[in-house]
Amino acid sequence: MVTNQASLKRDGVQDYISLRTTAVIIAAFGLYMAWFFITTPSITFDVWQGLFSGLGMKVFTLAALVSIMIHVRIGLWQVLTDYVKPAGARGLIQYALNLIAFAYVAVGLFVLWGV
Amino acid sequence: MFFALLFVIWAWAVSVSSAEGFAMVAECMQGWVGKLIAIGTVSAFTYHLLGGLRHMVMDMGHWEELQSGNNSAKAIIALWVVLTVVVGVVLW
Repeated sequence: MVTNQASLKRDGVQDYISLRTTAVIIAAFGLYMAWFFITTPSITFDVWQGLFSGLGMKVFTLAALVSIMIHVRIGLWQVLTDYVKPAGARGLIQYALNLIAFAYVAVGLFVLWGV
Repeated sequence: MFFALLFVIWAWAVSVSSAEGFAMVAECMQGWVGKLIAIGTVSAFTYHLLGGLRHMVMDMGHWEELQSGNNSAKAIIALWVVLTVVVGVVLW
């Protein structure tokens, strides 16, 4: 049966790849922010807002947030399938957590929009 | 860490949106609650990142025997503790 790319159904290999590719983006963003905090002695509002006002940083931040959403979807699925055996409860928890993960992206998008 | 993100996203959204918001978050960060959440989040992320990097190395076929696996695990835990202490010094 040919894998139907139109469907959202993923398989283990795609999750394996997605988990690591998103991890690389998140790590890059995390290390960049760490470097920013280390090399910026005094952070004022102008400096902080200036950081996120450039288009490049906006795209990078949004990419990191979307990566977190995908990373979390797969990562939390792995955790929940280990610890929450009843499918109904697990489904509910996954639904709630994935909704929160999406909310993080939405908040990020609209905040970046206004910067 | 997923719930720590709740604080991180909230603090970032508030602090980048307005000067008053920035002042409020900066003030929170002076207090021990802000610092505790900060070190908790940074420490958890550091551990997760180090563990992830170790997994990436293992994906390439290294550190898979009992001895090498154990040693690499102990190495990242040691590095994690050191980094957490460094962050603690910086924050306090």
